[in-house]
Amino acid sequence: MENPNDKPAFLGRITASVTHDIQNVLAIIKETSGLMEDFFLMQKSGGLEDIEERLDKCIKTIKKQAYRGVNLTSGLNGFAHTADSSQAAINIFETLKRMIYIAERLFKQKGVDVSILECENHCSIITDPVFFQLIAFSCIECFIDNFETKAPITLEIQSSDNRMAIKFLYNDNMLTYEDYNQKIAQSPQWKKIINLCEQIRMTAEIAAEYPAILIFFK
Amino acid sequence: MKTKVLLVDDEEEFIETLAQRLELRDLSVTTVYSGESAIAMAEKIDFDVIILDIMMPEITGIDALKEIKKIKPLTPVLLLTGEATVENAIQGMKLGAFDFLMKPTDTELLIEKIAQANTLKQQHDDRIRQAEIENILKTRGW
Repeated sequence: MENPNDKPAFLGRITASVTHDIQNVLAIIKETSGLMEDFFLMQKSGGLEDIEERLDKCIKTIKKQAYRGVNLTSGLNGFAHTADSSQAAINIFETLKRMIYIAERLFKQKGVDVSILECENHCSIITDPVFFQLIAFSCIECFIDNFETKAPITLEIQSSDNRMAIKFLYNDNMLTYEDYNQKIAQSPQWKKIINLCEQIRMTAEIAAEYPAILIFFK
Repeated sequence: MKTKVLLVDDEEEFIETLAQRLELRDLSVTTVYSGESAIAMAEKIDFDVIILDIMMPEITGIDALKEIKKIKPLTPVLLLTGEATVENAIQGMKLGAFDFLMKPTDTELLIEKIAQANTLKQQHDDRIRQAEIENILKTRGW
């Protein structure tokens, strides 16, 4: 059964994280412009020789943060619009790449790097875009919350003639099948992933050869 | 003597810029980028005020605050938060933080809070010194 709180809770969590990042961007811009003001005042009182160099550094910082802010707000805007419809065509690679980018702070908070491998074949599917991202996010969180080694997680889109899948690989070679299979299968996230997959005609499996979760499109 | 401030945030550009502004206002500032480094630094140096961001990877500001209070219970800790909700900041206050400020901060307000925190620290230090002197005088029968 679909939990009516799943979607708003997920949207809220991502939004809170991104807006926190945006607050940081604004804080840096505010402090840097304040520092420029300080330099001007010092210059007026004749106490600053290398003002051009200092101002140049400040301008570069502000520009860099402005770009970061634009990327964050664009990412958040695109993410928010995925809630416009419960059935829409999405580009799997672009959707996952954006989700990873805007959720980066949440992953970093737990000390884990998440990335997606470049994909030449840009596959599209018609699905519930928010549910799809929630499943991907839950797969990542399943590793983060249940494994202490904090290994990097890599997403890979795999497609053949008749089947398409997403692999969530936990890059820890020391884990045995018994270790990861049991930990994943017994985690609360796994039950949630199975349940969410059923809602949008997908299936989830724990890989046999390496610590990974595979999500298949039916 | 300059007030010794430890500034802790994982946003490097934020604290490096803020550090420059505080130094221009005659404070001596040390910067670190993680809760772990903050604890190590607090153990090594006797700071007058510690400014700690709440949301940091792995060891959060709240966890770092707990450890710092064990090592240096009298060092005032100011918390910085980028969140609109104040639950974490309130938790920090309950754990002994001196005060909290929202990010982006008002620099003059931050300077004012640092001065208040430093005054409190100096008062504590004076009281401890006075008590130690009284104790020496008493035990030696002077």
